[in-house]
Amino acid sequence: MRYSAALIEHFRNPRNAGLMPDPDAVGEARDPECGDVARFYLRIRQGRVAEVRFQTYGCGPSIAASSAATEVVAGLDLGALEVLNPEGIEAALGGLPPDRRHAAEVVSMALRAAAQDVRRRQGMEREGVRA
Amino acid sequence: MKRRVYLDHNASTPVHPEVVAAMLPYFSERFGNPSSVHGFGREAREGLDIARDQVARVLGASKDEIVFTSGGTESDNFAIKGVAAARGRGHVITSRIEHHAVLRTCQLLEKQGFDVTYLAVDGHGLVDPDDVRRAIRPNTILISIMHANSEVGTIQPAAAIGRVAREAQVPLHLDAVQTFGKLPIDLDAIGVDLLSFSGHKIYGPKGVAGLYVRKGTRMIAVQHGGEHERRRRAGTENVAGIVGLGKAVELRERDMAGEATRLTALRDRLWTGVQARVPGVRLNGHPTERLPGTCNMSFRHVESESVVLGLDLSGIAVSAGSACTSGNVEPSYVLVAMGVPVDWAMGAVRCSLGHSITAADIDYVIECVVPLVAKLRELSPVSV
Repeated sequence: MRYSAALIEHFRNPRNAGLMPDPDAVGEARDPECGDVARFYLRIRQGRVAEVRFQTYGCGPSIAASSAATEVVAGLDLGALEVLNPEGIEAALGGLPPDRRHAAEVVSMALRAAAQDVRRRQGMEREGVRA
Repeated sequence: MKRRVYLDHNASTPVHPEVVAAMLPYFSERFGNPSSVHGFGREAREGLDIARDQVARVLGASKDEIVFTSGGTESDNFAIKGVAAARGRGHVITSRIEHHAVLRTCQLLEKQGFDVTYLAVDGHGLVDPDDVRRAIRPNTILISIMHANSEVGTIQPAAAIGRVAREAQVPLHLDAVQTFGKLPIDLDAIGVDLLSFSGHKIYGPKGVAGLYVRKGTRMIAVQHGGEHERRRRAGTENVAGIVGLGKAVELRERDMAGEATRLTALRDRLWTGVQARVPGVRLNGHPTERLPGTCNMSFRHVESESVVLGLDLSGIAVSAGSACTSGNVEPSYVLVAMGVPVDWAMGAVRCSLGHSITAADIDYVIECVVPLVAKLRELSPVSV
């Protein structure tokens, strides 16, 4: 098997998969080359990730990377989420074959986008207060 | 032990035990070089002769029209380059859904100054013989069409294309790697001048194949360095492999008709079962004019590699219709040429059945496919 046991386990039993009703933020990324789409929903409490769910269209590694990433980012503060890199996700999967590294990249991009969405919504709220 | 179901027979097949038994003596006792004049050489030569007879008989050809090669890819290369080299310049007609062995070779010819027409196909993957007729030019030197497509299984109207070729006096190369030993092939009725065939698609060994070359076909060798294969293909023959190919052909001659009927029923059982229980699925390829064991299905909003991986975890081997290389996913060029929309093409999965497959296997596959596709769709943001 060219994939690690951890990757297979995440693919077989994805954690935190599916829609989240009324999330605090949503982030999505599409890999322009392979067409994979990852979307993450966040619930934020006191500046940290309190709950995260995902929906991903793509190959097995992309689905597994999404699942692993939900465990990586649980409890993370927004600052750390904003600079999330793919290496941590790849490590959580026990590594990826070189031609599947895009799986961790698209997932980290989507999570960074979700962090930006939190900031954007917070900014909107502040503006709402000022108005 | 976990159940294992191999549905990738268009990629390769297990070597039949009788084929293995026929090959074994040619690794040890009859190991001589068939070009040697001594007894050891003669024994090896005898093995080649028997195999050539077996292949020639099933094709209705004469022995000296059979050239053994190292694989279907070499056979296709030899057919096209051999004719092109003999003519020096000219125009070749092929289709957009050929195997890369044909397409890449034709692209090379273009770089060398030849003209190539790549014919479009219809939604079922069929080449229109009238398109072939319209594409013929005064300088057309070859028509190269695959008998049946390896991905979707569509069988071309070879006899109608052959008539067009004959009328125009243009040689016809039929890439029959997927049909040889699976369907009857009448060389004269079709009007074939060159025919590629292979061993490992029909329960023979890998690394051995052949090209039928009709007497009088203008072509020259593309591999030099010896007098082998009547000076058409230099290199010591893969004797054990060729003996195995001959035996495989003999066995297919015996089993082919019954197997075709059985596999057609199983193929249709698979499609009917999946179609009844999975929404958003389509069959790729011709509904009836299709290889007995081939069922290519597209699951919309699901990426084919995740289906392949999911089924693999249940012990089921199928192949993906889209190919991901270096992080770049391309939908199958065959499906794209057939006009299959990209979001369907990305979810294409090919199941190709063979002699070990039973109705119980097919039912098991259906039982695994239904929840897998449902789960992947649940995970997918593009289906909601």
